[in-house]
Amino acid sequence: MSPLLQGAITIVLGVGGCVAYFYLSNILLDTVIFPARGRDPGRNINRANMVRPWLFLAPAIFAAGLYLAYPVFGSFYRSLFNRDGNQFIGAGNYFALWGDPAFRRALLNNFLWVLVVPAAATFLGLLAAQLTDRLRWGNIAKSLIFMPMAISFVGASLIWKFVYANNSQIGLINAIRAWLGFGAPIDPLQIPFWNNFFLMVILIWIQTGFAMVILSAALRGIPEETVEAAVIDGANPFQIFFRIKVPQIMPTIMVVWTTITILVLKIFDIVYTTTGGNFGTQILPSYMMSYMFRDDGRATAVAMVIMVVVLPVMVWNIVQARKELR
Amino acid sequence: MFPRPIQQTRVTTQIAYRIALPVALIIWLLPLLGVAMTSLKPASDLAKGNYFGWPSHLAFVNYADVFRNSPIAQYILNSFKVTIPTVIGAVALSCMTGFALAVYRFRLNLVIFFIFVAGNFVPFQILMVPVRDLTLQLGLYNTITGLALFHISFQTGFCTLFMRNFIRALPSELIEAARVEGVSEVKIFWYIVLPLMRPAIAALSVLVFTFIWNDYFWATVLTNGSSTQPVTAGLYSLNGQWVAQWQLVSAGSLVAALPPVLMFFAMQRHFIAGLTLGAVK
Repeated sequence: MSPLLQGAITIVLGVGGCVAYFYLSNILLDTVIFPARGRDPGRNINRANMVRPWLFLAPAIFAAGLYLAYPVFGSFYRSLFNRDGNQFIGAGNYFALWGDPAFRRALLNNFLWVLVVPAAATFLGLLAAQLTDRLRWGNIAKSLIFMPMAISFVGASLIWKFVYANNSQIGLINAIRAWLGFGAPIDPLQIPFWNNFFLMVILIWIQTGFAMVILSAALRGIPEETVEAAVIDGANPFQIFFRIKVPQIMPTIMVVWTTITILVLKIFDIVYTTTGGNFGTQILPSYMMSYMFRDDGRATAVAMVIMVVVLPVMVWNIVQARKELR
Repeated sequence: MFPRPIQQTRVTTQIAYRIALPVALIIWLLPLLGVAMTSLKPASDLAKGNYFGWPSHLAFVNYADVFRNSPIAQYILNSFKVTIPTVIGAVALSCMTGFALAVYRFRLNLVIFFIFVAGNFVPFQILMVPVRDLTLQLGLYNTITGLALFHISFQTGFCTLFMRNFIRALPSELIEAARVEGVSEVKIFWYIVLPLMRPAIAALSVLVFTFIWNDYFWATVLTNGSSTQPVTAGLYSLNGQWVAQWQLVSAGSLVAALPPVLMFFAMQRHFIAGLTLGAVK
């Protein structure tokens, strides 16, 4: 059977299964388990209505439980065991991590990433949103700024390898250096400390489009009267931007900031595909990948550390979401 | 009127705008433009050292070479086989869960909703080892089914959050009126809510498509080998094989990026609506 046909059949079966499950289970509930007749139809209708939401939720809860809830506890449990998983060593993996200079390097670099990337992407996004809003071809400019967002992290890393290549004939940076008359080509990704920032540029390049799109929608939502009043009072463009517009979209700025922060703490692709964590560029997610298939106890311990680092941002984000629900 | 059209401002501002912005834009796209140009250069140009000038002729043959000499067609097919079922599965499931969480009031409603929200933010690293072991035990390791199934469950969290907020914003009178008329709940979902969800379904489909197409983490964790790996993982291993064949690396990178970029330009409105809805609400 051709794979295309196979795929089509799977899709039809899957969607059909969903519809059938949903339709049949509702009928079963309404006519067999709690029929709206008999001695007490009112009570039966109420009971059926109490059960119904769970019919809609059941498949997703099953999927989420299987692939989300179980693994979080499973990971913690696994991180208390040794490499082969047959000996309980308590917090041994965590102590081993702390004693590893590579781990501390990764932790430090990760904090650098969290400080720089969300700030830079949000700032550039805000700038791009403000500047393109007044242009006739602004929408085209926006699409172009946004385009890197559609490219995968791996693809973007490969593209940026052409910028950083250690060769004045391929690498853009080295070509510019050669043109300006500097000496031999250098490898920007091997310059200690600064190479971290060169890698961050790749993520900033991708995420600026995201920040720009969200912030541009927020800027458009600002009531015009506030800006007009400021113009009449004689405010200059900078004052209008920083004193009138930015405070009004502050909640959105914070959402963009935290969303990118959470993303930064998860992304390993860029470091993994460019330097492989060498030359002092390791970050936690890529450090974890270096233990994949080698030492599951150590890998899950790193995962727990990442979880602990993400947790405050996550909680803040959820509290914000909750505020909006009320 | 504000913002003032740029034509009415001072001349210096106008000049700065006219020159600085296009220049900034070109610098922004320089990495992409450079790669696009390299991908069209014949290998002889690169051997001669003509890296930065215009190609001596447009070598579309590089693209043909990429398809002829590497399993990239297989990788792309795999990506489609993972991405399309995931989009359909995650969107279908989340239509239902979103409906339940938005329309029905019951005790654990908020709790379940926040489980979905939290699941959305949990770093996926924490899932890596258990999910891999589970997939191994189920015999789904290194299969497209395993990868797609996992993506469906993981994406359902985000999609549910999105759908629930979208349905919440619909006028509740519609549903109440239908109930008063005695329309069954199934029909309310199917004939009233689902048609109104069309923009959300479109936006979510585009978003999930790009997320899954660009995923690299789960592709490396759950698959290996060219018969199952999607194009992100494939591209990385090809990059190892094509040392110094820059024209192939660049053509391959562009081919792999093409489907999500085309999707983005074709469905731009939905894509941006989706991001805005998903992030702000």
